[in-house]
Amino acid sequence: MQRCRFSIEHRSFKAPTGESFRDHPAGMQLSLYGAYERDTVDQIISPIALYLVCALGAGGIALALPRRGFTQTKDKAFQYLGAVVVTAAFGLAALLLGMKATSEGNPMPNYFFYPFALVSIGASVRMITHKRPVYSALYFIMTIIGSCGMYILLSAEFMAFALIIIYAGAILITYLFVIMLATQAPTGDDDEDLEDVDAVAREPILACAIGFVMVGLITAAMFGGIGQLPAPTMTQAQAENAVLAQLPRKVDKILDRAGLLDDGWRVARDHDTGMAMIDPDARTIVIELLGNDAHGHESAISTRILTSEDWPDSLKADNLDRLGFNLLNDHPMMIEVAGIILLMAMLGATVLARKHTELEEALKAAQARKLGTMLDGTTEHDGHPSGGHA
Amino acid sequence: MMHAFESLQLVQSGIAQLAYPSEMSNSVLAPYLFVSAAMFAIGLVGFLTRKNMIIMFLCTELMFQAAGLALIAFGRHHLGADGQTFVIFVLCVAAAEAAMALALVVLLFRHRESLSASAWKELNG
Repeated sequence: MQRCRFSIEHRSFKAPTGESFRDHPAGMQLSLYGAYERDTVDQIISPIALYLVCALGAGGIALALPRRGFTQTKDKAFQYLGAVVVTAAFGLAALLLGMKATSEGNPMPNYFFYPFALVSIGASVRMITHKRPVYSALYFIMTIIGSCGMYILLSAEFMAFALIIIYAGAILITYLFVIMLATQAPTGDDDEDLEDVDAVAREPILACAIGFVMVGLITAAMFGGIGQLPAPTMTQAQAENAVLAQLPRKVDKILDRAGLLDDGWRVARDHDTGMAMIDPDARTIVIELLGNDAHGHESAISTRILTSEDWPDSLKADNLDRLGFNLLNDHPMMIEVAGIILLMAMLGATVLARKHTELEEALKAAQARKLGTMLDGTTEHDGHPSGGHA
Repeated sequence: MMHAFESLQLVQSGIAQLAYPSEMSNSVLAPYLFVSAAMFAIGLVGFLTRKNMIIMFLCTELMFQAAGLALIAFGRHHLGADGQTFVIFVLCVAAAEAAMALALVVLLFRHRESLSASAWKELNG
């Protein structure tokens, strides 16, 4: 492969011939510090094109960021122009990635990926460029929904729905509450009425330049590293079946549904561990008939082996089983840590929120003045009840 | 119930990226990572440019989102459930952060009647 001048250079290791690095004893270490020929950025996308796309997107965002000093129509025009530029950048990126993949005969992502990605990126751009905080929060919900679609494409269905419930349903509602609590009396529809804090962006050009450098660096590093990712240590089927052996009752149910179990039969359990006796590699299942033995104890009085032809297609652990076992079996400490974090957050928020605060002196004086002028106004208008204040 | 189960399986086999038990190739992983990086950068730009404190915290949530997407994509690539487990943790941290940050915003708003981050310039200690 011809290397582009801009590709990330690194030490290259030569693979011992006839041996994949997975079989190599130092495989893991090897893959962390460098790998074979196929791991430059231009394996995925040409770096110049990548930087071009990033610059285009940054320019679009810089155009769309809120500013003062234009009429409302001109401002709208800038926003739409920015949206068009960002969409063009997105389309260009999708086109380039797709062209590269098809030219090398690699698979492309599912077609559903593109609308979901467009929704999440477009909504997040709109979120940071909208002048009104409430709309920003609502656009963030759109972003969440877009990412949920991508989660489903990545076969993480549970996380997709959990994300909608927790983020869109709980966290964003909290944000909306605070936006409505902590905002001055609502202004009119005119953008001129908005305060500077919402209507003017701080250093838009500089920030977009930083964002451009950031996304360029992150993608270059990620695309450069993709080729070096260690391959999974076991196949998906093995991972699924390792969990499946711990769910004997689920196996019972699936076998029963497939019509493989006669009355009184069930999958055999290991005596010590209680795990289901299934062999995922040979695809065999041991089933047993329960009955009373000579001493009156319940035990297996007959066993049989189901061969691989009998193995039903539906006999696999789904995503939720695997996620649950992963969370509780492999990362139990995480639940404790999460509990402590949430407890601390709850305590902290309560302590912060119940503190009684006074307006500062200057603000108090300003408010008093405002109130005073308002009172003067009402006394002047006393003679004309129709022009009264609310 | 049966119907729901069957349609769920249909969704899984129809929409899901590839046949479930297969590896995801690099050319499929790359676009997800690109979207994740772009979302992170957009969140960063928003955090740097906007003056409203609430929007700044929303932008940090956007960056959490981007990290979550990358985690799930990598998890799918490795055929493990670790990525999803970490996203649960990220959700937890995001919820805690939202609670704390919003309590802080309300407190600061009560002092100054302004959501501007620059109203608190003297806190630069």
